[in-house]
Amino acid sequence: MKKYSKQILCWMLILIMALTVACSSNNNQGKADAEKKTEKTEPVVVKLAGGDFGLSQPYTTYSRGPGTYKVKLVFDSLVAKDDKGYIPWLAENWELKEDGKQYVFTLRDDVKWADGKPFTAEDVVFTFDYGQVHPPVGSSQLLMKEGFLKEVAKTSDHEVVFNLSEPNPNFLEAIISVNIIPKHIWEGVERPDEFTDEEALIATGPFKLVDYNKEHGTYRFEAREDFWGPKPAVDVIEFVPVSDPVMALENGDIDLASIPVDSLSRFEDKEEFTMMDNLGVYGTRLRFNIANVDDFKSKEFRQAFAYAIDRQDIVDKIARGAGVPGSMGILPPAHIWYNDQVPKYDKNIEKAKELIEKSGVTPGEYELLVGEGQEVRLGELIKEQLEAVGIQVNVVTADLKSRDSRMAEGDYQLVVTGHGGWGRDADYLRTRFAGKADGWSSGTPGYENETFSKLAEEQRVETDEAKRKKIIMELQEVLAEDVPEIPLFMRTGKTVYRNTTYGGWKYEFDHHESTHNKLSYLE
Amino acid sequence: MRDFWKTVFGYVLTFFLIITLNFALPRMMPGNPFVHLSGEDEEVFETASSEQVAYYNAYYGLDQPILTQYGDYLKGLLKGDLGFSYYYKTAVLDIVLRRILWTFLLAFSALILSFILGIILGSYSAWHRDSWQDRALYMLMTITSEIPPFLVGIVLLIVFAANLKLFPLSGSMKHFTTYTSMGEKVINILHHAILPVITLTFVRVGGVYLLVRNSLIGVLKQDYIRTAKAKGLREKRIQYVHALKNALLPLFTRLAMQLGTMMGGTILVENVFAYPGVGLLMRSAVNVRDYPLIQGVFLVLALTVMTANFAADHFYRKLDPRVRE
Repeated sequence: MKKYSKQILCWMLILIMALTVACSSNNNQGKADAEKKTEKTEPVVVKLAGGDFGLSQPYTTYSRGPGTYKVKLVFDSLVAKDDKGYIPWLAENWELKEDGKQYVFTLRDDVKWADGKPFTAEDVVFTFDYGQVHPPVGSSQLLMKEGFLKEVAKTSDHEVVFNLSEPNPNFLEAIISVNIIPKHIWEGVERPDEFTDEEALIATGPFKLVDYNKEHGTYRFEAREDFWGPKPAVDVIEFVPVSDPVMALENGDIDLASIPVDSLSRFEDKEEFTMMDNLGVYGTRLRFNIANVDDFKSKEFRQAFAYAIDRQDIVDKIARGAGVPGSMGILPPAHIWYNDQVPKYDKNIEKAKELIEKSGVTPGEYELLVGEGQEVRLGELIKEQLEAVGIQVNVVTADLKSRDSRMAEGDYQLVVTGHGGWGRDADYLRTRFAGKADGWSSGTPGYENETFSKLAEEQRVETDEAKRKKIIMELQEVLAEDVPEIPLFMRTGKTVYRNTTYGGWKYEFDHHESTHNKLSYLE
Repeated sequence: MRDFWKTVFGYVLTFFLIITLNFALPRMMPGNPFVHLSGEDEEVFETASSEQVAYYNAYYGLDQPILTQYGDYLKGLLKGDLGFSYYYKTAVLDIVLRRILWTFLLAFSALILSFILGIILGSYSAWHRDSWQDRALYMLMTITSEIPPFLVGIVLLIVFAANLKLFPLSGSMKHFTTYTSMGEKVINILHHAILPVITLTFVRVGGVYLLVRNSLIGVLKQDYIRTAKAKGLREKRIQYVHALKNALLPLFTRLAMQLGTMMGGTILVENVFAYPGVGLLMRSAVNVRDYPLIQGVFLVLALTVMTANFAADHFYRKLDPRVRE
């Protein structure tokens, strides 16, 4: 026993020593950092919340926002987005021909790959051909659609022609999703999802990934001095693990975070922090199972739901004020083509009761499927509001994946679901409400409206923007009248950043996250 | 020797049951790895069309009959292949091995610390039975062992990391720095491990304390202690050599069993500190229904616990002559 106690003693001593040294060494580090800062013109290092989202290459990234946007720091696409719309990127300009069935892209002639080789039309043609055989992560459904992309051909070293089977206003959106890869490196690659050599990261983008650690979920991107485009305004972007964003931002572990309403006051009066409003394009909606529940086939009955549910109350109680009620025309107020003339359906219990009467439906008890956390409270609130007009609801919770798969199988009566992407091209109105083929995942089985389907089809191939916009406005009116679903609220909230580090944050016109925007890091 | 083989057979059977459960349970959970419609944390992603889901199901062999999948899984295991993660797109074994070392660091440090503390405090209590110190300790330890680990973690995080800034908020080491020496790196890693280890120790020490106290009180009533006292031996000698040595035997089995619960606690604590162990990995694997990864993580954890149990079983025989026959 004596022997053991000696060992134990030793261990304890070691631990105590380690503790003391650790604490003191940390202080020294702080001092060293401070000295560095005063010495030279400081490179701009921006630190953001990390997490593993895969190697930033089009085939190894994970299919989640933070992953795909990191790829865009390293790789470029032909077209990019700013806060107003599409902008030329690797392509200097583009032209529509043949009634919208042909796109001609003129490429920049001053672009080089990170290994010094010139970027040409060959690479573009190769990328699209390769992508047809090996679809990259999060590949565009439009481009992968059988027969849509007839041919991609180069007409000169700096001109590429795309021939399509039919016109489609969403083509540019699809083009943006494709990151151009160098032909001379990828030509022989058979399994792109296992291609993780250093070469796999050779691209034309403004940053290079110099350090990536899967197990810790850390990334370090450094600006390329020889980048062809706007000068990088940030020298280094670091993604580090974060336990709690509020504390991490306060302590200087990170420089930007989306902050919950209740914690905002901690940043309000401090000079080094700036707040900005998040774009409200993350929405939560209530879906009816129109196909399987007969009661929901009645338009009046669905309208009664819309009058019974107080969406402003939901914003106040669930989003704690950090949100806006959804528009009954589906496209949210933050959308560039939002129709503000559609009926608002402000809470009106009398009207709801009248409509139930008129619909001839005797309300039964319906199951409302919700996810976890906040959504449970949301479910309870909706239940309360519906009970006031005599509709009984039974709230059932499931974890995200279980809920999603029940939704994908149409195994629900009412379901609440939240997701981003509400600012995207308005064509999603078509897939959501006229896209029968897509079934339960992205469509609304059971909802059919001829006028709507006809208009939706028209806008799909309309390449005149003004005409298309007019159709989209009409679509929203139809939806607001029919109430095939109820957009409950759009989350807004605030992002807080440390302005002493960097302040050039910008939004893309349709995306709620400024850190995902490559232009945020450029001048 | 026959006993030995019996035990081994028992373990093999258990192991087989575990891998079968590992295979079946993830697949019984509702949800599909490739269907995701809702975004957590304000995410945006491409919704996969039904054709794409079918493509991925086929690509990863999920369209095969379940028994064929099970057979492939067993065949792979025999070759030491735990499969390929759908989400992380890497060999499962590779991911799990990299992560489990961090979990071991936390779990073993906490285990050792909680045992040292538990033994010291437990013996103190037993020798000063019914004194006010004993009562106070007893109360305190009963309370601490009932507090959920993540709660302790959050409190420590707020007080020592966020407010006093003595420790880092998250992660297991400082990134993007060059360490001048190996020692510096080790110290940095220890610095990051301290709060999680304290958290785990805090919630585990109560159990050890109670066990030591009870066991020692029992031993102190034994005849041979009275004999030793009668012989006029020094009190310290009785306390350590005669009493504690015998009281610690049951603790040894406890150590192995604790490892299992310790793993469970570590998983919760890792989530609080964004610590890159298997706990964090397990959570994300379950969230995205990454079947091979879920199987891999649970398999490695089960193996760890089983090895510990086996070792305890084996050494207990050596330590305690009474069970040798």
